Amino acid sequence: MRDTFSRCHPIINFLFFGLVIAYLMFIMHPVMLIISFLSALSYAVYLDGRKTLIFCLKFLLPTMCTAIIVNPAFSHEGITILCYLPSGNPLTLESILYGISASLMLGASLLWFRCYTIIMTSDKFVYIFGKIIPAVSLILSMTLRFIPKFKAQFEIVRDAQYCIGKDISDGSIFSRLKNAVRIFSIMITWSLENAIETADSMKSRGYGLKGRTAFSIYRFDSRDKKILCCLIFCGIYLTCGILAKGLKWHYYPSVRGVLSEPFTISFYIVYILFCNIPVFLNRKEDKIWRSLKSEI
Amino acid sequence: MKYKIFSLFLTVSLILCGCNLKKEKEYQGNINIPENGIVEKSVFSQIKEDNAVVTFSGESNGCQYEWTIFGNDIENPKDINLAVEIIEEPEQVLLDFKSDDYFGFSSVLSIHINSVWDCQNAVVYDSKNNAVCGASVTGSENTILNYTTLQTTGTFCIMPDTTDDIKSSVISTEEKEITTESTVSEPYTNQENYLTPAGKVSDNTVSEKNNSISESSENYGLIADNIISDENNNSELSDYDDRIISDGSQTEQDKYLTDPVPEGKPMPVEPENAEIHEQTQYTCTFSVECSTILNNLDELNPEKFDVLPADGIIFPATEVVFYDGESVYDVLQRICKENNIHMEASWTPMYNSAYVEGIHNLYEFDCGNLSGWMYRVDGWYPNYGCSRYQLKDGETVEWRYTCDLGNDVGGGYAVTGGE
Repeated sequence: MRDTFSRCHPIINFLFFGLVIAYLMFIMHPVMLIISFLSALSYAVYLDGRKTLIFCLKFLLPTMCTAIIVNPAFSHEGITILCYLPSGNPLTLESILYGISASLMLGASLLWFRCYTIIMTSDKFVYIFGKIIPAVSLILSMTLRFIPKFKAQFEIVRDAQYCIGKDISDGSIFSRLKNAVRIFSIMITWSLENAIETADSMKSRGYGLKGRTAFSIYRFDSRDKKILCCLIFCGIYLTCGILAKGLKWHYYPSVRGVLSEPFTISFYIVYILFCNIPVFLNRKEDKIWRSLKSEI
Repeated sequence: MKYKIFSLFLTVSLILCGCNLKKEKEYQGNINIPENGIVEKSVFSQIKEDNAVVTFSGESNGCQYEWTIFGNDIENPKDINLAVEIIEEPEQVLLDFKSDDYFGFSSVLSIHINSVWDCQNAVVYDSKNNAVCGASVTGSENTILNYTTLQTTGTFCIMPDTTDDIKSSVISTEEKEITTESTVSEPYTNQENYLTPAGKVSDNTVSEKNNSISESSENYGLIADNIISDENNNSELSDYDDRIISDGSQTEQDKYLTDPVPEGKPMPVEPENAEIHEQTQYTCTFSVECSTILNNLDELNPEKFDVLPADGIIFPATEVVFYDGESVYDVLQRICKENNIHMEASWTPMYNSAYVEGIHNLYEFDCGNLSGWMYRVDGWYPNYGCSRYQLKDGETVEWRYTCDLGNDVGGGYAVTGGE
């Protein structure tokens, strides 16, 4: 993976995603939503292009369309009445606009979480929270690993059972059921045993003990400092903006809000910079890499 | 260096533009009227500029009064004397405006009197004893009189509306052609019908009941449910009130959780049984108002100030045409569509009726936890849904917004079942 942002300090990664998702949830301003959505899309495409595009077409687009249709069907508030639905309630322009905004928010948050799962690996998560809340972070990391691990082990057990002729794919219904229960029982035993083993192993290594250090390859360097400053500045600026009602926007009963005040435009600029920190970082790194390559 | 310049630029723009935000209509609270009553021009200019909603409150002879002023109504700000001398007498309130000039904009005057008026509406009379306009009567514990006025000089008198001006004018014209038994020949009787239902109405009840029972047993073989055959009604207008009138003998809730209907009031007509005859047209007086919100501005959802009418009237009392067999809900829905008023309702199977959630974008719970829409027909808040109230010719339907579970509009009994 050529992504530079993922090589930054885990705290920077976590802070970035935390802030970006928090602002996405709290700001209903349409321009801000569009900015967030496009940034999330561009970063997700940068991270794994083909897969993201397939995800967008297969899953994201239908979900967003459903959200746009569902809102006006259930919400009838708004002063601009377009026509009347068969139920006798009005179809309003405001509810459609709100539906579009809500679907943008939904799409953007799905895309940001897609990026999050790629960047924030479980070792990064344990690195950040291992010292503060060791037990919880171990449990979290174990549960997150549980499903893929269980799936893999299931394959192994099933193959082994297949070899000795006790497969679930043939035989009478009764024998199939019997075999399935058998495999399930094996899996439960395995997972319980595995959990105890992991716990014992971690305990014997002194996990969570006072004064115990853990190896990590993460270093908080000057680049991380710069990014942290940038994040803090954008965070404070945007929070001030929300508190000063510079991003005020409401859809009901009439669409009202600030759109083109200089104050608000400054927020758009800051938000664009903020959401695109990883992309800018990657671009910059790519440029350096290319120039170095051309020198050779 | 680049970062520093950039952040400096942004900080400066934040400070410079912070005061440059677009003004939305907002409630700026209450201002006390000074001793001499004169509020300066600068105050009104500020209100106008802020596009604010402000209440000015004062006291006179133990009566609280309040002016609700919308900034966007003010055209030429000037010094205005807002003081009003109020003398409260039994069943009448005398007003003496201290201002010697009109304000130049209409505003709502709310008078909190220290007694309770048992009436539906009030009328404002000028010094020559001519009726000027109506006033709405609200208030949970003590009565609050709200009325909108442009004439802010001289003396006025507010009295309970016993004559039922609006209604009588409607009925007296219509009634002469149609009615037979429960005739309203003079303005007073209609009201009396509701105050003393025992006499005239109960006669009516008996005959109605016999009528419908015999009919239904013949035609449908059913015990008189709430089903009413309209066959007779079609041919002749004379039999115009064919609803079953409650005789007060009911003691339990019906299957749609409706408490016993008080004696003399019409029983609910299930919407699935109601037959609408478009060839028979009747009229009723219809109005939608929300003046209680003006007395509870601090509780109103700030986003709703844009849709709040300055005088609290969404649809003024108007004579409207409806078809035989239509319910209050059918009429409300049609009027809202015709007049392009927003209205949202949801069908509630449990009560077998539509529930009106919001009119004119003013929704339930928009003005406190106890707020919502209620309807009143000829002075009575029915204790069942508006889809089950079949309208009859000449009735007066009022949709009113309550901020206190019906208590402030005189309809608490419909919500609590009179407990």
